[in-house]
Amino acid sequence: MAYVATRGGARAIEQAERLFRTEMGAIDAARVAEIRAAMPYLIDRVMGEASLYDEDIAALALAQTGGDLYEAVLLLRAWRTTQPRLQVAEPVAQDGLFTHRRISAAFKDIPGGQLLGPTLDYSHRLLASEVLTGTPFAPKPVDAAPTPAPATQPSVAAWQAANDLVDLPEPDMTRPDDIPDVTREPVLFPSKRAHTLQSLARADTGGTLALGYAAMRGYGKAHPTVNELRLAEAEVMVKHPKGTEFSAGRVKVSQAEVVSKSGDKLSLGFAATLGWNEVKCISAATLDLNSKGAAKGSATEEEFFLYHTEGVESSGFCIHFKLPHYVTFQSSLDAMRDANAQKAAPQTPDQEPAE
Amino acid sequence: MPQPDTKWSHSDLLSVLARSAPDALKPFAEGLMPQLGDLEVLHSRTGLVMLPMRDTAQGTAFHLGEILVSEAHLRRGPHEGYGMRKGRDLEAAMAMALVDLALDAGLAVPNCQAFVAAQHRLHEDEDRATLCRVEATRVDMETF
Repeated sequence: MAYVATRGGARAIEQAERLFRTEMGAIDAARVAEIRAAMPYLIDRVMGEASLYDEDIAALALAQTGGDLYEAVLLLRAWRTTQPRLQVAEPVAQDGLFTHRRISAAFKDIPGGQLLGPTLDYSHRLLASEVLTGTPFAPKPVDAAPTPAPATQPSVAAWQAANDLVDLPEPDMTRPDDIPDVTREPVLFPSKRAHTLQSLARADTGGTLALGYAAMRGYGKAHPTVNELRLAEAEVMVKHPKGTEFSAGRVKVSQAEVVSKSGDKLSLGFAATLGWNEVKCISAATLDLNSKGAAKGSATEEEFFLYHTEGVESSGFCIHFKLPHYVTFQSSLDAMRDANAQKAAPQTPDQEPAE
Repeated sequence: MPQPDTKWSHSDLLSVLARSAPDALKPFAEGLMPQLGDLEVLHSRTGLVMLPMRDTAQGTAFHLGEILVSEAHLRRGPHEGYGMRKGRDLEAAMAMALVDLALDAGLAVPNCQAFVAAQHRLHEDEDRATLCRVEATRVDMETF
């Protein structure tokens, strides 16, 4: 590769980094704590894309990069490699999730009912501009119900299966340690479903939305309806050295099922991610729903969407074009000049290309 | 989780300790140290736990991503204590392991169980408060 055909500039590079960091000023624990407390959805998005769950570390990455999401995710993915993997937890099952929000756009009378949970879905989006003129915005407290919602909610798909609308899958009995893992093996196509879902779980939200939106607008074969959308907390079930299983704590997860008519049954698309990120899950589930039999090179074809929604690779490839390409570009320029010179030169018989 | 008068399983004890607030867990565990005497620390480290999930469309188990945890593993003669908690608080993981070790060694068992029971009640209260707020968002679609 001849991308870096330059020498020198160490001082300028040092000063450029200082200039970047000067704008953000000193970073201390208080700033990190404030970012964590004030921006939970941004923290969730970064943790999901980094595929690393820790709110403090995610907030630190955001503080250190001034909120540049691609840089923050890159920092976290790099830092992750310094940590040993201690265990693989027991798989999370939908019916064990501590549920904060569970809705269906396909059926209104789902078992367990519809819980809107924390959302702005039905709210006016008005900028609280008075904050800038000295009037703080204080959210009204929730008027809590006298009795709690059930901690867990039944699966909509299981209810549909009972009504012969979908076929419930056989449970995958793969041992946790044997589940295919894109952090340890390459994704090959056609992709294993475990690779596809893991890649979508850590995919770039914007990229996933762009391709999912293309499918929703008609560039896919199936129009999605949200069968079930859930924001929840999952117990991280680990093992004590004596074999006792226990929860090391809860983490926020989101999952979406989208549904479309397929013959005399419904077909489902699925996606989930660490943190609460509904747009990514619905978009990713739409891609999953549309991927079967998708045309090569289309937005809904597995190879296309998995390669193009990997945020660290795609942003890295994009920004590498800023780095010196003097040799490769000079070569293109030379070829262009040669071609122009040949065109401009008077044609003589002995200059014609050989047959 | 057990009722107040029933025996705690090892699993429930560990789950409650893993969720206990560090500012309650650490001083409690520190109070156990004189009884525990000399200990061997096998591990005190941060690391990752991969979290799989089951897909509801086709049933496939896949990896959601990794969770940063802190881990402590102690030994005192034939007894072991272990702590693993979400987050990077090594002291809290060590405190969890100390309580687990005390229980394994049969030391300060009533105190440890009382601590766990008190923490469990706090967790139940937190969960109930959360779920009462969630219940307030239940929507009757007929009137929507």
